Amino acid sequence: MSDAEHDFGAFVAARATSLLRVAYLACGDETEAEDLLQTALERTYKNWDRVRHDSPEPYVRRVIVNAAISRARRRAILRIIPMHRPPETAARAADADLRHVLMQALRALPPRQRAAVVLRYWEDLSETQTAEVLGCTVGTVKSQTSKALAKLRSALGREPVEGVIGNAHVRG
Amino acid sequence: MPTFEDEIRRIMADETARLRAAPDLVERIMRSRTKRRRARFAALAASVTVVAAAPIGYLTVGSVATPGPQPTASATLEPPAIDDTPPIPSDPPSFGDLGDGRAFGRVEVGYLPKRLKWSNWSVNFGDRYTTSYNFDGDKNGFYCVAIYMYEDDAVQEIDDRIRRYRDDGEGEEVTVGDRSGYLVVQFVGEDGMKGTPTLFLRMGDKQWAEIMFSPVYVKEFSGRQAVEAELKKIAEGLTSTG
Repeated sequence: MSDAEHDFGAFVAARATSLLRVAYLACGDETEAEDLLQTALERTYKNWDRVRHDSPEPYVRRVIVNAAISRARRRAILRIIPMHRPPETAARAADADLRHVLMQALRALPPRQRAAVVLRYWEDLSETQTAEVLGCTVGTVKSQTSKALAKLRSALGREPVEGVIGNAHVRG
Repeated sequence: MPTFEDEIRRIMADETARLRAAPDLVERIMRSRTKRRRARFAALAASVTVVAAAPIGYLTVGSVATPGPQPTASATLEPPAIDDTPPIPSDPPSFGDLGDGRAFGRVEVGYLPKRLKWSNWSVNFGDRYTTSYNFDGDKNGFYCVAIYMYEDDAVQEIDDRIRRYRDDGEGEEVTVGDRSGYLVVQFVGEDGMKGTPTLFLRMGDKQWAEIMFSPVYVKEFSGRQAVEAELKKIAEGLTSTG
């Protein structure tokens, strides 16, 4: 085994589960998450000589998130999977159902809003870092995140609290 | 009291706690790369080899399976590794390699905005098919322009959709050369952005094109008029080859 293969193997062993979780949250489907991860890692391996000297994880994460967005959008265009909207009426869920409700609401978000939430609140990236991954402006990240949180809050039956959660404030 | 964001973090952590990457992931990636190399080598070999006779037992498209000796393992593919995961649902049928992507199905694309390349992606369902164009030709990347073709019975869907837009007061009738069309901003699952500018072009009784600009790509242009002008130029350049 070459040094590069050894390094790549070590990177995958250390980070694959964490990246799989990002992929799952970004696409909402376990099988597709595994495919996204494998696709992203194959691309990373292909470019390993170039990527290994920087930090490879942001590279893989960017491939995963953008591929998830791209696939979701293509599906929408192809009308293979109709886009769902979050429930219009707020319903306070029992704690046992919260995960289910949140995941349903997360899946129902438009793909870039979903990615923004995952990157900001799961990966704990800053708005600037999130903008870099998504290839958009910080302002877009702010607006996308705000809209997404408003929908999630509505789905979970949480009322917005003025002034308490700054970037989750519903505008308009 | 935890903030709403903290609550989301906790729920996401609970939801993903059970997920573990497959222990053989590295091997699968290496194997996948090797398979692709072998496939490329096989394709190259096939391109320079004249096959004298097809082995008995192979099926060709449209043929019917008949009883008889089955090909032996050594004559077919190597056995799958025991740790192979179940196959992922296959992609929809595509056109394969379209070269520069300017001709696909029964249509030719005469004009594309500067810097756009074929994305190496297409889908072909027969009476409806599509491909797209972006900056880097990466099939996993974002699209900039997508062209979706509808033919024969599938054109009914376009009639219905335009009727709905018309009834809702959205969009406008346009003329592109001597052809008619409908210009509208659609929302096709995008994310709170400003929608997908689209031009439906009637290319014949049984052929319509739906030309779409990605909301991200729209930002490359100075405004709505510039986007609509480009959509019309693409539409003008579309010719039917069917």
